[in-house]
Amino acid sequence: MKPWAIYGITKKLTENFKKTKKDVKSISGVFKSSLHIFPIDVGNDNELNFEMEALASPQYNIHRFGIFFTDSPRHADILLILGKVSENMKEPLAETIAQLPEPFGIIIIEDKNDTKTGAKNLNLPNVVGYFDKKLEAKEILSVLLNVMGREV
Amino acid sequence: MRLLGILNKNDTEEFLVENEGKIFIDKSPNNKFDNYELIKNRDKFIGNSEKKGKGVFNFRYGPVSAGVGQAGVFNIKTYGERILSVSIDPSYKKRNIEQLMINKTPKDALRLAESVCGNFAFSHSLAFSRAIENIYGLDTDENTKRIRVIALELERIYNHIYVITRLSKGAAQNVLTSHLEWLFEESLRTNKLFSSERFLKNFNSIGAVNFSNSNNIDTIKERIKILEEKFGELYQHSLKSWNFIDRIYKTASLTSKQAISIGLTGPSLRATGIGDDLRKNEDIYENFKAIIRTTGDALARMEVRAYEILHSCDIILTQLDKLQDETLKHHKKEQKNGAGVGYCESPSGIVAYYVELKNNLVDYVYISTPSVFGYKAFADSFVGYIFTDFSFALDSFGINFADCAR
Repeated sequence: MKPWAIYGITKKLTENFKKTKKDVKSISGVFKSSLHIFPIDVGNDNELNFEMEALASPQYNIHRFGIFFTDSPRHADILLILGKVSENMKEPLAETIAQLPEPFGIIIIEDKNDTKTGAKNLNLPNVVGYFDKKLEAKEILSVLLNVMGREV
Repeated sequence: MRLLGILNKNDTEEFLVENEGKIFIDKSPNNKFDNYELIKNRDKFIGNSEKKGKGVFNFRYGPVSAGVGQAGVFNIKTYGERILSVSIDPSYKKRNIEQLMINKTPKDALRLAESVCGNFAFSHSLAFSRAIENIYGLDTDENTKRIRVIALELERIYNHIYVITRLSKGAAQNVLTSHLEWLFEESLRTNKLFSSERFLKNFNSIGAVNFSNSNNIDTIKERIKILEEKFGELYQHSLKSWNFIDRIYKTASLTSKQAISIGLTGPSLRATGIGDDLRKNEDIYENFKAIIRTTGDALARMEVRAYEILHSCDIILTQLDKLQDETLKHHKKEQKNGAGVGYCESPSGIVAYYVELKNNLVDYVYISTPSVFGYKAFADSFVGYIFTDFSFALDSFGINFADCAR
């Protein structure tokens, strides 16, 4: 039986990452070296949820950039709203935003062709990025690095 | 005979049923189905009868909880340790896709079918397109069938890897999880090489596929071989970790009798010893044999998925070798009116569509998804266990609120 480490030693799982320019606002200089993110599914078709899982893969190794997922909005710097908002998710979304510590930012990623209410139309506070098409994991990472104002 | 759906048309009920691999409408069934109430109430409530008693309280889990991940709510009745009953509310994901399809052309409705559940996008697309092809009387050519098989198996691979990754993560197997996450991302990249989309969307169409990546076939073959080798090795290694196996062995066990009563399909059914798989009835799969296990627990469900990953790799390699370069052609014999059923074996069980067309616009549609039955199976199998088993019980079924709520 080969030991676990064999893949890590013979082949580097982490890849070099080249950030691309994304149209976002910066929140505060304090997030230059670390950013904690909390994704919320508000009714997307699961594609974006799966892209968030892919973002956690070793190819991207987001921890090297100081980016971490949190298990609670109370520890998050960025709320990632994934999808258009179903009727029943409007209230949980509002409550989640109320739990975010200051300063915080909100990034909305949705497919403009999807049904239901676009989060953009809900007058949410501190929206630092809005994307009207689904983003791949590497694009989401570029968005986060742009919010941080971090050079890669 | 298995009940998959109840169609309400003009105050009468018709039944979408499966029997020996064929799915059809039964207008006057003699059988009474145990899962009638489950299907009838699938948009409001999925679960078992609520338990009450001294000290029993409701623990509401979701829709915004790290352990749930998708928008949905679990109402769990417990007195603090053992789970007494589970009631699931899938309405947080409700998008009324069946209603949105009405008066759409089949081409537009196909895009909606793909958006039912992003990680089962190809399965939904294939089932819907087969329903329309049946109405049109359209027979697809051999090459199209092969490309569809490859796409369906690619979808199965990344979904099964995802499920096993979730189980590994739940058991804090960080090294294994990291390697599986690597394979997961690699499989999404292979999907893109094959279909130009990571989730195999915008690839299938009525009677054909939009395959334009024949230049990538050698690269795809190489990637599938690497995936098969690495996953096989990782999986064998994972079985040596008693910390991991202990969490899923005899967890959320389901008997074959329970599974049949629920109407469960897919790997979760096959983990109870029943070898039902729609792929057995498709000649293109060539001597297909379903993978089964008999213990019906989370470990058995994982084992079935693991061997299906390896099996899917072999199927893809076989089909890639037989692909031809010729341009795909099909002759449409479009019928503007009619009704048809289409179905396929998605990564988590049967996806079936019943569609009626009027003037070549969708007039009625019913979607049967495997997650409805999967959530019921989760709820029933989780009773009697404790909350720390939640993630293993849930994740082992490979079910999604998006698929369930439509």
